[in-house]
Amino acid sequence: MTEYDAIVIGGGVIGSSLTYYLSKLRKKVLLVEKTDLCSGSAGATDGYITPHTKKPGYHLEMALKSCELYETLAEDLESDINLELGLHCGGIQACEDEMQWELISRNAAELSKSGLELYMLDIEDARKIEPELSPRLRGALFSPIASSVNPMRLTQAYVDAAKKFGAKVLLHTEVQGLLFEGERVSGVSTPNGSFSSEYTVNCGGSWGGVIAKMAGLDLPIIPKRGQIIVSEPVAPMLNTVMQSGIYPIIKYKPELIQDERIFRLGLAFGIEQTKDGTLLIGGTRELAGFDRGNTFEAIEAVLKTVSRYIPAILHLNFIRCFSGLRPHTPDGLPILGKVKSVPGFVMCCGHEGDGIALAPITGKLVAEDLVYGEPSFPILPCATERFLTNREMGGG
Amino acid sequence: MDDDIIICRCQEVTKSQILKAIADGATTIDGVKKRTRAGMGLCQGKSCQRLVARIISEQTGKSMEEILPPTFRAPVRPVKIKILVDGDKDD
Repeated sequence: MTEYDAIVIGGGVIGSSLTYYLSKLRKKVLLVEKTDLCSGSAGATDGYITPHTKKPGYHLEMALKSCELYETLAEDLESDINLELGLHCGGIQACEDEMQWELISRNAAELSKSGLELYMLDIEDARKIEPELSPRLRGALFSPIASSVNPMRLTQAYVDAAKKFGAKVLLHTEVQGLLFEGERVSGVSTPNGSFSSEYTVNCGGSWGGVIAKMAGLDLPIIPKRGQIIVSEPVAPMLNTVMQSGIYPIIKYKPELIQDERIFRLGLAFGIEQTKDGTLLIGGTRELAGFDRGNTFEAIEAVLKTVSRYIPAILHLNFIRCFSGLRPHTPDGLPILGKVKSVPGFVMCCGHEGDGIALAPITGKLVAEDLVYGEPSFPILPCATERFLTNREMGGG
Repeated sequence: MDDDIIICRCQEVTKSQILKAIADGATTIDGVKKRTRAGMGLCQGKSCQRLVARIISEQTGKSMEEILPPTFRAPVRPVKIKILVDGDKDD
């Protein structure tokens, strides 16, 4: 007899979401977190829910499914998840020059094939939606489906709701190793004791690679550092969530970037205003190992970039900066579902910068995979096996 | 101390909210901050940090020294963005 139906490792937004959806399906769940909820990336990020920044096709369709869940999420969780500007504030991708405009236009055409409604607006029209955009810009993509959420409120709300369904949460408890019964992973060992379960789920985010190793898997989950700057709270000045036209290039085609510094820092920008009035100004995508420090170079470079797009920020004070790790995978998709060669072990991480947008759908689909054996939307493209060698898959 | 008293003045967080965060599992200044926003305002915890630490100490029995200092991040005080952006211009 196992104590739990599932043990979820990691109290970030993904682990919390999965704990909720599993508990809602009446499964007995234990969430184990090494330090505290939101102590990793969920507590060090902005909160974009922007389907138009996903890869055309499957990735986008997954994000749109997630948006459907966001529609009723606050009600479902009986909690205010702080949708900063409401659920339908819309998103802007601003283009500085003709090259960005061309790339974004082409990308928009691809994205609309999945039924996403998008508009390419000249700068005059874009400024009708977002008056703070610089008149010197070329234009912007506008997506009516986009919003942002407070990631810490969201994580907490998932955990609170899961507890109401009976989920157990163990904070300040580090998983030191996995328990095995033959080939099968049968639970976890921690300084507070061992716990057995039918499934053990790796929701370790950027640390997912470390946990996968405990199951004998070598998975390419690489932390990418994202630095973010916080402004003083100000009266409402932004209507939408915004990114620069270079953002999808940084994310999916960094090899096209010619400027050494932009390439090294992964320098794009994103800006959103929280309910509180502060602006969250990002960001970077840097290879810096597990270092979560901030650098003057990045802060200066981000602020210089953003001020070209939104000159009004020059007159604001910034009060803090922080940085978080985005769990990058080679193809930009997360790693989800049961690992065939390691029975009992389940992957649920590697979302890079899409963790907030994809948290609801990820939790729901992986829960369905475990409970019904078949998720309501395919997760096969996210299967662990795409990154495994023959040996790891149990072959010769 | 009355539980309705405001501990973080920037974000208007009361003592009872902080007690609730500790009951929920927060054992550090960051843990309280992430649950309540205490210390996230304009002064970045300069006023409330010691008070929050004291409440954590009272509730958990940890000594003040044990309660980890929160992560310090730049800038130490608010800085106008223009100063950074124009920093290398001679004007």
